Amino acid sequence: MRETVRRVIEQLDSVSPRLTLEVDGHELPVTNLDKELWPAAGRRKPLTKRDLLRYFARVSPWMLPHLADRPLFVTRFPNGIGGKSFFQKHWDPVPPFVRTVSIYSRAGDTDGDYIICENVATLLWLGQMAGLELHAWYSRTERAPDALGRGKRFTGSEAALDKSVLNYPDFVVFDLDPYLYSGKEARGAEPELHRRAFQRTRALALRVREQLARLGLETWVKTSGRTGLHLYLPIVRDLDFDAARGIAETIGQHALREHPREVTVEWAVERRKGKIFFDYNQNSRGKSLAVPYSPRQHAAGTVSTPVGWDEIESVYPTDFTLRTVPDRLERDGDPWAGILESKQDLGAILEAGSAG
Amino acid sequence: MARAIWSGSISFGMVTIPVKLYGATESKDIAFNLLHTSCGTRLKQMRWCPTDEAEVPWNETARGYEYAKGQFVVLTEEDFEKLPLPSKHTIDLSAFVAESEIDPVFYERSYYLAPDERAEKPYALLFQALEEKKLAAVATITIRKKEQLCVLRPQAGVLMLETLYYPDEIRAQPEVEIKTAKVSGRELEMAFTLIDLLRKPFDPAEYKDNYREALEKLIEAKLEGRDVVTAPAARETKVIDLADALRKSVEAARKGAKPKAAASRRRTAPAARRRTRKVS
Repeated sequence: MRETVRRVIEQLDSVSPRLTLEVDGHELPVTNLDKELWPAAGRRKPLTKRDLLRYFARVSPWMLPHLADRPLFVTRFPNGIGGKSFFQKHWDPVPPFVRTVSIYSRAGDTDGDYIICENVATLLWLGQMAGLELHAWYSRTERAPDALGRGKRFTGSEAALDKSVLNYPDFVVFDLDPYLYSGKEARGAEPELHRRAFQRTRALALRVREQLARLGLETWVKTSGRTGLHLYLPIVRDLDFDAARGIAETIGQHALREHPREVTVEWAVERRKGKIFFDYNQNSRGKSLAVPYSPRQHAAGTVSTPVGWDEIESVYPTDFTLRTVPDRLERDGDPWAGILESKQDLGAILEAGSAG
Repeated sequence: MARAIWSGSISFGMVTIPVKLYGATESKDIAFNLLHTSCGTRLKQMRWCPTDEAEVPWNETARGYEYAKGQFVVLTEEDFEKLPLPSKHTIDLSAFVAESEIDPVFYERSYYLAPDERAEKPYALLFQALEEKKLAAVATITIRKKEQLCVLRPQAGVLMLETLYYPDEIRAQPEVEIKTAKVSGRELEMAFTLIDLLRKPFDPAEYKDNYREALEKLIEAKLEGRDVVTAPAARETKVIDLADALRKSVEAARKGAKPKAAASRRRTAPAARRRTRKVS
């Protein structure tokens, strides 16, 4: 893998605006390499599509494990983060090196092809299409090792999909999203990142972690890459999405009860003002938060970045950008490596807790 | 901007202007729930039939108009549907008047009118015409099944729609006798001086709801002191002990039951709304 990455970086060092990259024996035409996806701002230089491809190549050894076997959708920004963006779930056709999986969709009452990103070439292909924000399902197409009995038929009907392994998530997730305004936002705009809001979000995350730790549950944290934090609770796959959402809601309602001044679970955005939105509703099949190391739509070129609980007090979302994250990974590795080996059997842990 | 509460079009001679309507005002009154003081549970309203001494489900209810004491005429959904509502999705302009001709007592609610897609041009035309002529347009609009009189007026770059009370909804002046007392020139001069002292431009920002502010502070203080009444854990959503609640969720899931039917039923609506928000 490292050799693949090194060779891709070498090819991208060419000054030509269009290239045909050779990646693991596959050919991938890339164009408009000098297109600015993140425009220059103040003293900050712009980030181009070439920078994005370089980034994807360099982080791929740590990022790809988080994408393995997961249906993926992306938000594309063909004219950069200031331009129009759109979600893309289904693709036709795809290059030969891209794995696809056919999954039933209730929306059209039909099967559709999702892509699965399992190699450097696919990641770069997404980058070529200005697919900046990557969203992967919380469930996987593969059964080993903790979901061996589950079905592998994902097509034809909702019922088949309900019974399949794709209905069993690896994580219960929470999105802590501060609706604390800096005061500089335009009317009706989303709150901007600022120190006080992040401090409060971090304090809440630490309290939630502590609460769950008391029950014997270990929580993992990453920056959203925008203003908030994402909390993941890796679980053994014997609870389906409905169960995961029930659990998430229980935890969210508990947080609301414990911290009524900090937490909101309101749907109406205007009612979230001044509080941190504790979003437990993302625990649904087909929904997703940005994956670890996914770039985000933010002027600083921020990246959703896993962090250790021991460093959370000293980090800030803009520390982690397309420019800094590859060095960080090469130096310290991925704090979330092994998250799937740390899965927790919720039922067993809770029963043990009640016995003792 | 907030969600449009109505969309349709203004019909103005041969021109139709697709528009959306947004509320221009909102009440900031703090709402309270009624609790049972002994247990802190939020009280439920019930439809109670004193004859049968039983709670009545919605499907056994009908709307009755009391035409004489204890005598009702019943109207069904079909009856309501038969009612004529001519201006269903249009704002029909019927007359142009000077704004000063409308007494403020007629104003009911204010809305902003925004042009819908590709309607900027005719919208601008109507706006400019009204502004330059210094006129307002009288019209009718049907909002929530009720036809209302309204007036469109240009205001700071946007067309405002003000719903008006119908004349028979305005009460007559109170029938108290207001005696005409005699006032001297000196007294009038004094009144003028006082008025001149307090004469200034109207700045709404100078005024605020002191009562609400005090109420908010009181609520904050109560929260700070954790003077919070918690409803008992009657159902699974209302839990005090997290471990217990989680255990129940997991057990329910293991049994194959949906742990929270309410949560899964709600799924579609929030998901749709979520799309208007950023993806995290």
